[in-house]
Amino acid sequence: MTAPGAPSPGLARRAHPLTGLSAAIAVTALAFLVPTPWGPLILYGGCVVLVAICGVGRAIRQGVIVCLPLWIFLFLLHGLLGGGPTRSLGPLTLSADGTMAALVQAGRFGAIITASLGFYHAFDPSRFLNAVAARGWPMHFSYLFVATLHALPAFLDRAGASIEAQRTRGLRYRGGVLARARAVVPLALPLILGALAEVDERAHALEMRAVAVGGKRTPLDPPADTLADRTIRWSLLFLVLLALVGRLTSWPM
Amino acid sequence: MSSRLLALIPLAVAINVAIGRIVAELSLPVYLDAVGTILVSALAGLGAGIATGLISQVFAAFVSGYVWLAFAPIQVLIALLAYVAARQGGFRNFGMSVAWGCLLGVFGGVLSAFISYLAFKGVTAGGVTFLTTVLVGAGMDLPWAVALSSVVTDVIDKALAFALVGVALRSLPVRMIGRYPLALRALGR
Repeated sequence: MTAPGAPSPGLARRAHPLTGLSAAIAVTALAFLVPTPWGPLILYGGCVVLVAICGVGRAIRQGVIVCLPLWIFLFLLHGLLGGGPTRSLGPLTLSADGTMAALVQAGRFGAIITASLGFYHAFDPSRFLNAVAARGWPMHFSYLFVATLHALPAFLDRAGASIEAQRTRGLRYRGGVLARARAVVPLALPLILGALAEVDERAHALEMRAVAVGGKRTPLDPPADTLADRTIRWSLLFLVLLALVGRLTSWPM
Repeated sequence: MSSRLLALIPLAVAINVAIGRIVAELSLPVYLDAVGTILVSALAGLGAGIATGLISQVFAAFVSGYVWLAFAPIQVLIALLAYVAARQGGFRNFGMSVAWGCLLGVFGGVLSAFISYLAFKGVTAGGVTFLTTVLVGAGMDLPWAVALSSVVTDVIDKALAFALVGVALRSLPVRMIGRYPLALRALGR
């Protein structure tokens, strides 16, 4: 995991940060609410088109990479090993119901993961923090978010350095599962102890800046929340509610 | 929220992710992605543990899909049981840590199986799903295969995670651990 790279210059980057977040959350809800079997697949197709139009097309390829093992397992578990009536597809005998269930779930995974990654690639931490500060979200929330975002790549680097250092010292971490499990302690312990030793220093710095007091922040440059942004967010909410009503009343589960 | 907690939580989330990388490098069939959550629950209590677990889950979902937010209740369960274990002195030695880890593994595995079966039709992360596929291929019904594979992998995963946190807590200098009264209790001191 790394911090988001240079945000894409497309539509997604220009939109208000909460609009992108709302779209990703709405897709997650819609994936489980739209009528099956074709709804989730159509939603996935829609997400692919939308993500490409919004200038975050790399989310499509990355989404396929994340989804591929899930799709394969769905096909194996439900298509090949599923029960009920069967159909022949070339040399394969597939469960008809299982294959359909696998397709539905594959569409859900595809739609949600593509939309989430689209938001991730368009994400700009400073714009997002200014946007939530302008909305009056608590300072603690902003701090936890940014500090975590900064800590992640640093700790991944430390994990890599720890692996290299222990390897240089002759630690063997190949072979049986038990031998590899034993290598966890010398690799992970320095990371944990180092982090705990760092807590005091960071807590002192936060104390000096009175961060723990909380209170509302004044954003220096809040992103514009245009009429188009607000219209998109309200439309997404309306769509999700409509799908929820449809799901509860008539659509197939 | 105190300055110490504000400093501790992001580091614990990073520990969750970084140890996940170490485990992947070792090609172990576990995740160990809740070590930071268990550690914070044992050091600073339930609220801090839940915050660490939920933030970890949100970040995992942020980079690999909001679909994984469905597993957020597991993080709450981990924090809750780690907190109870700490109050009961569950990290005082290796055996106790492993026993508490196994207990969490059973509860976590059952909850994880429910979420995995209902929301994901049994297909989630590689190792668990591979085991589920093998069990279904051997003739087991899908719900039972999902339950068994989730419980088995969770018991191993959480036993290792609790053992690791126990080792870390017992390795801390007295001066440092003295700042966390719950951790002293977790070690039976």
